[in-house]
Amino acid sequence: MRHLTITTAVLVAAALGVAGCGSSSSTGSATTAAAKPVTVTAPWTRVTAPQEKNGAAYMTISSTDGDTLTAVSVPASVAGEAQLHETTTSGGSMSGGMKGMKEVSSITIPAGGSVTLKPGGYHVMLMDLAKPIAAGATVPLTLTFQKAGTVKVDAPARSS
Amino acid sequence: MSRSRVAGPLRVRARRLAPVLLVIAVALAGCGGGRDTHTQLHGFVRTPPQRVGAVVLPDVARHAPAPLALRARPGQLLLVYFGYTFCPDICPTTLADLHDALGRLTPAQRRRVAVAMVTVDPHRDTPKVLNGYLSHFFTSWHALRTTSPVALRRAERAFGARSHIGPKDRHGDYSVSHTAEVYAVGPDGVVRVEWPFGTASADIAADLRTALAREAQPST
Repeated sequence: MRHLTITTAVLVAAALGVAGCGSSSSTGSATTAAAKPVTVTAPWTRVTAPQEKNGAAYMTISSTDGDTLTAVSVPASVAGEAQLHETTTSGGSMSGGMKGMKEVSSITIPAGGSVTLKPGGYHVMLMDLAKPIAAGATVPLTLTFQKAGTVKVDAPARSS
Repeated sequence: MSRSRVAGPLRVRARRLAPVLLVIAVALAGCGGGRDTHTQLHGFVRTPPQRVGAVVLPDVARHAPAPLALRARPGQLLLVYFGYTFCPDICPTTLADLHDALGRLTPAQRRRVAVAMVTVDPHRDTPKVLNGYLSHFFTSWHALRTTSPVALRRAERAFGARSHIGPKDRHGDYSVSHTAEVYAVGPDGVVRVEWPFGTASADIAADLRTALAREAQPST
């Protein structure tokens, strides 16, 4: 009985750890069929100021068998180019680290796991926006996976 | 999964729950930022704190740029952030979080907080671009822009901030790496608290209330 209680506690703690400490957002629709090996949930993009030349899109990608996201694209009506990026931190311990950004060639989704593209981490960078991303708009993204092939995702725009 | 008995001594149930609660508490504790338990702030306080009141930067939010010394008005706080408008992830997120935090204050509290962004990319962040960008997040702001790299370095150093312009890509675009803290400066030009990227807006708001309560309001 005691073992079961502690096991439950560890599982709960692990779930809390995986869930993360920030507030989680789960608006947006997943447009992938259940049969596909990858599932995209909670896609979203941030509303941009007219002065912003770049935008960002975020989402959670899960895979039963494991897969690799190798490319992302958007229509020219949205942006000139979409790239996979990772925000990096160098130096500083809990405060004072430099935030940088680098393009990544791929993002690996572990088998039976997921990767969340979120502010401060991986993100889709929408470069050279054709027009501001307005509240209520939806940005169509095409993701290319090594195994699953192309997956289309609609990312709704919101302010935060 | 076995169900706990409805009846049973509270003492025994508590003992069974204890390891569960302890592990959950430890897991949640790992989520915390740099909580300053002495001053009850969620953000970080440096010792000694940064003295930035002598930093003066051009404020281009006005029609005619006017120098702004980095100290709050009496009874107020001045929030300072180093960033740039081509930043797709960190800066819009931080400013959106700040916007949310300010929205959690009462109007009276909100009136006592001013926001200033210092651009680390003055070449692309012209006054027009910078003001337009900030107008997306705030109703009033200071847009601090200097084209002097020396003046920018001096301002950054006072806060313990840094920035670095990266190499140009084939389109001529570049990213700028930069520290991403938001600093709350008091009327004496001393940083009261700083929040690293990712600090929850509720925590920023709570710190603002705490910090504002410590600032004597000028009698009118």
